[in-house]
Amino acid sequence: MWIEIQQALNQSTGRVITEIANLLPGIVALIVAMLVAGILAWIVAFLLRRSLRKIHFDERMTSWGFHSVNEWSPAHTPAVLFTRSVTWVILLIGFLIGISAFNVTLTSQLVERLFTYIPHVFAALILLFVGNLVARFLSRSVLIGAVNMNLQYARLLSAGVKWMVLVVTLAMALDHLAIGGRIVYLAFAILFGGIVLALSLAVGLGSKDIISRSLQREASRSSEEIESPFRHL
Amino acid sequence: MAEIGTIPEQTKQRLETMGAADIVIGLIDQKGGGDVASTADGIRRALGGLTTSVRAVVVYNDTAASPGPPRLPEGVEDDFLRFLPYSLPALDPSITLAQSIANAHRAIWGISDTIGARACVILTSAPEDVASSWIHALAEPILEQNFDLVAPCYVPHKFEGLLNAAILYPLTRAVYGKRIQNPLGPDFGFGARLVRSLLQLDAAKAKIGAANQFLPVGPVAVVRGFKVCQTHLGERAHSPVDWKNLDSVIAGVLGPMFLDIERDAPFWQHIRNSEAVSTYGDHRLPAEEQENVAFDLHRLLDPFQLGFRNLREIWALVLPPGALLELNKAHRLPPEQFRIPDELWTRIIYDFALAYRLRTIGRDHLLRAMTPLYLGWVASYALEVESMEAAGVQKRLERLCTAFENGKPYLLSRWRWPDRFNP
Repeated sequence: MWIEIQQALNQSTGRVITEIANLLPGIVALIVAMLVAGILAWIVAFLLRRSLRKIHFDERMTSWGFHSVNEWSPAHTPAVLFTRSVTWVILLIGFLIGISAFNVTLTSQLVERLFTYIPHVFAALILLFVGNLVARFLSRSVLIGAVNMNLQYARLLSAGVKWMVLVVTLAMALDHLAIGGRIVYLAFAILFGGIVLALSLAVGLGSKDIISRSLQREASRSSEEIESPFRHL
Repeated sequence: MAEIGTIPEQTKQRLETMGAADIVIGLIDQKGGGDVASTADGIRRALGGLTTSVRAVVVYNDTAASPGPPRLPEGVEDDFLRFLPYSLPALDPSITLAQSIANAHRAIWGISDTIGARACVILTSAPEDVASSWIHALAEPILEQNFDLVAPCYVPHKFEGLLNAAILYPLTRAVYGKRIQNPLGPDFGFGARLVRSLLQLDAAKAKIGAANQFLPVGPVAVVRGFKVCQTHLGERAHSPVDWKNLDSVIAGVLGPMFLDIERDAPFWQHIRNSEAVSTYGDHRLPAEEQENVAFDLHRLLDPFQLGFRNLREIWALVLPPGALLELNKAHRLPPEQFRIPDELWTRIIYDFALAYRLRTIGRDHLLRAMTPLYLGWVASYALEVESMEAAGVQKRLERLCTAFENGKPYLLSRWRWPDRFNP
């Protein structure tokens, strides 16, 4: 009886040791992949930091209208944030490559699916970036135009345009990532429709006096134009 | 011959039958139409005042120009005076008045260069009854004294030509060092060499996608070493103000000006102070009763106040903290005491010129964001000169020009070291 137990224990210990031995090359490959990714990330971060400093990335981010980057992370400049993001992406890719070396069906499938998903993530990030730029450009255009037209609600108009574009961009990005599925469609339709309805109601009911006063003022100004003594050109 | 390709076929044929001419006179009637034949006698008188007889071609804007010779009354044309109806692109509603005038200038330069005229006079804002004396005043220095550019001087009404008084003249004077009172005209006399140079410059600009831009004629002539003078013309006619389009006017005029300042930096960085250019004609001040005009202060101040509340973040990208602080002080003043000091205004203009060069924000946004500041200056100026007589107003504007000249080291410093901390 005791001998049989001893044999069973020996066999299971042997199996465990074999399994561990089988894992060893994978672990070594993971460590090597992480080391290579680490070195690559360090080199890329170094070059990126220098290039960004050279092109005055932090100042440009502010002038492009991305003031909020500082609000998200007051301790870090936009250049540092960008460099760190790239570093972590490279490390993550290295980790995924290392994991695939284990040659286990489940991990291989997981890694494969993750790799096929990465282009979608990049596309979504590009969408968000471009959408942000477009939103800021349009909101600035609307703000300056509305101020020059002497509209008292210039800032409101500008913010409205900005958020409309951002909401559309976010919906597009989520759609691209296949997150939320039909919920995103529904939520977007409800939100966008709600914004338009709210604006219509605001103009139609709540702000009708403001709008009519503003239009009246503009109309009276048009008739005054000829009487103005100022000639600019 | 840079513009020959853009001249319509029927106009080219008419030009060939006309042969050579000494002077091309372009009449840009902004309202369209106009009885050009009635001005023929005046033009003859104007040209008769020159020491030698000259052959002239009068180019007049006729939007309904039909093919074939123009239908003019008998005896209007002779060997020395020919008329050329030409559909000038002056009435396009999609572009600003300044751009329309620039396009019309371009078309007339093309005709002048094509027929090899020695002089080209363009009238844009001449009242019909004085056009002939203006033609003589603008043509004579070109044909008889070998000047390349004759710039206009008008009777200086306190509330007229404000963009010129606030920015264009003081800036040109301080940066380029020549006291050309109306560097952008719009009424000019051009010599043949300058016409060719302007057409070449225009073609070069078109290649880099800046076609149809307003050409700052005065600065271009100064930088290229052309002989420049100015002549007193008298009262000018003005088109009504388009208040809703003021930002487009500012962007259309200041954009090319700032662009030239950027391009000409190697030239103007060595210039200190300014010098007068030869000036002809009688300097007249406006009659006292003409200057007592009422204005609506709130119409000028409201856009400034609204701009200050909404555009401060954009201005902060362009202006140093000290300038914003001073604008804040001005913003808090009661309307009757509102003032923008000359030194502050000078720095604002220089900072915007620098931001244009550095592309701190989109150039169109930058120029349009200046509109409330400009209207603020107009409000401050109007309050200051409201009760002044004409001579006092001239002194006031001279002080502004001096402030621009005194502030030039600031422009130079910021131009050379834009990253240096500037409180």
